[in-house]
Amino acid sequence: MLLARRERLSPIASLGAATLRLVGDMGAMFLFLLEAFGRIFRSWGQFPKTVRQIYFIGVKSVSVITLISLFTGMVIGLQMYYALAKFGADGFLGAAVSLSLVRELGPVLTAIMITGRAGSSMTAEIGVMRISEQVDALRVMDINPIGYLVSPKLAASIICFPILTAFFDLVGMVGGYLTGVLLLGGNSGVYWYRISAYLKMNDISGGFIKSLVFGVVVCTVCCFMGYYTHMRRDAVGPEGVSQATTAAVVTSCVLILLSDYVLTSILF
Amino acid sequence: MTQQTPDIRLEGLTIGYGETVVVSGIDAVLPGGKISVILGGSGCGKSTLLKHILRLHPLLAGRIEIGEHDLAKLDRRGMHCLRQRMGVLFQDGALLGSLTLGDNVALPLREHTRLSEKDVHERVQAKLGLVGLAEFAEYYPNELSGGMRKRAGLARAMVMDPPLLFCDEPTSGLDPVTAAELDQLLLELKRRFDMTMVVVSHDLDSMRTIADHVLVLGSGRVLFQGGLAELEATQDEYLRRFLDRRAEERTSPRVTMPPLDFSVMKRDCSRYLNGE
Repeated sequence: MLLARRERLSPIASLGAATLRLVGDMGAMFLFLLEAFGRIFRSWGQFPKTVRQIYFIGVKSVSVITLISLFTGMVIGLQMYYALAKFGADGFLGAAVSLSLVRELGPVLTAIMITGRAGSSMTAEIGVMRISEQVDALRVMDINPIGYLVSPKLAASIICFPILTAFFDLVGMVGGYLTGVLLLGGNSGVYWYRISAYLKMNDISGGFIKSLVFGVVVCTVCCFMGYYTHMRRDAVGPEGVSQATTAAVVTSCVLILLSDYVLTSILF
Repeated sequence: MTQQTPDIRLEGLTIGYGETVVVSGIDAVLPGGKISVILGGSGCGKSTLLKHILRLHPLLAGRIEIGEHDLAKLDRRGMHCLRQRMGVLFQDGALLGSLTLGDNVALPLREHTRLSEKDVHERVQAKLGLVGLAEFAEYYPNELSGGMRKRAGLARAMVMDPPLLFCDEPTSGLDPVTAAELDQLLLELKRRFDMTMVVVSHDLDSMRTIADHVLVLGSGRVLFQGGLAELEATQDEYLRRFLDRRAEERTSPRVTMPPLDFSVMKRDCSRYLNGE
């Protein structure tokens, strides 16, 4: 095994092997997602597990989302006010803050924050279970490990990501109000009026779809990395879990930004 | 042999990981209703063989039959049914860390039966009582010692009253009294429920207490299979040394290198050891 792990390949062969691995991993990840999704609805027993995951992924993320969204909104309010004031358009601050939050920053920053807080722990939890034979124990008890471990997390992610994104957007708008109106002296009525006038249903549904996609991507990547910790080539045991956790967070963030671009070009 | 206590047949089995062969050419029958002990030195492939029998890893060659069923030909439903009739004790218990001991033991019952919570609780308490852990049902695995986790793992393996029980090193890491009690428990289970048991071990005392049938692995092959009395009478050099706990006789000394000189140490600690 060690010899195989340290086998030296030519650069071309390495590139080919890496490409094959990437394609194989993508296929495996897609099948993993399909199985996890299918098993959400397998039995009523999934319901209490999903509720527990909603508490962990959703409720416990509220404080950090509040903090991040408030400061993000405040920074946007500050920057936009100065930029718009140069053109005498500071009355449009509410529209600028709300559109940038709802269409772009809300879904992306929420997904990245949840990746850091809950996604990493999903990988670590499943990874530790894998290296300590707990996943094997589930299999020999005829309990599908993907259904038991991943499906409740996937269902919870699909529920929590859009709700937390909506929460991020709202608190962010309040943050923009704090700096743009209370600190810099903008007009309060105009701020809220521009939000209601310029924010369309299309913007909200676009942000909602983005957050749903990000939820599925983050949960799938993080659970997949943890589930296959034992097959990592770069490290084994506890170090393998830590490498898997790092890889899961990095891959999730990259895929969030990548899919954000694709979705933005399709939806808006 | 009836379906309740099936034989396990291993035919032309080659086991390993990926392209690495661990043991090859395994032809053996682990008889139903008896305790078969898979014996061998560390790293000889005992646990690997067990994991292949449990179909946790794909076979490199050969086939495994449990009762009349060839595992490779068993469909998904058949495999589900078979697994629900197997109990497995892993080397370190493999209890789910996020569940209490009681919930761990109750897990197979909650997933595979329609028993009410009251009945589940009763059965869980009975099985935990059997391994001496009845009062620890509310504890989490990380609050218990290694031996207690192993006993809880055995309670979970037995909770569905399976006709097949597989144990990976059940007595390793246990004190002699607990290990002896565990051996007695396995014997009692076999007597009362006519179970087929496969026990992986390198504990000779335990093997001599419980084994009806022994399979010895070493050097990548099966070195012996047969009854305990037959094994005890063997004259094979390796097996004799193994059974008598005798090291290989050497003509040259093993320790040839002079001890490390303190002067090469990065921090001079010699005065603490020399008492100066």
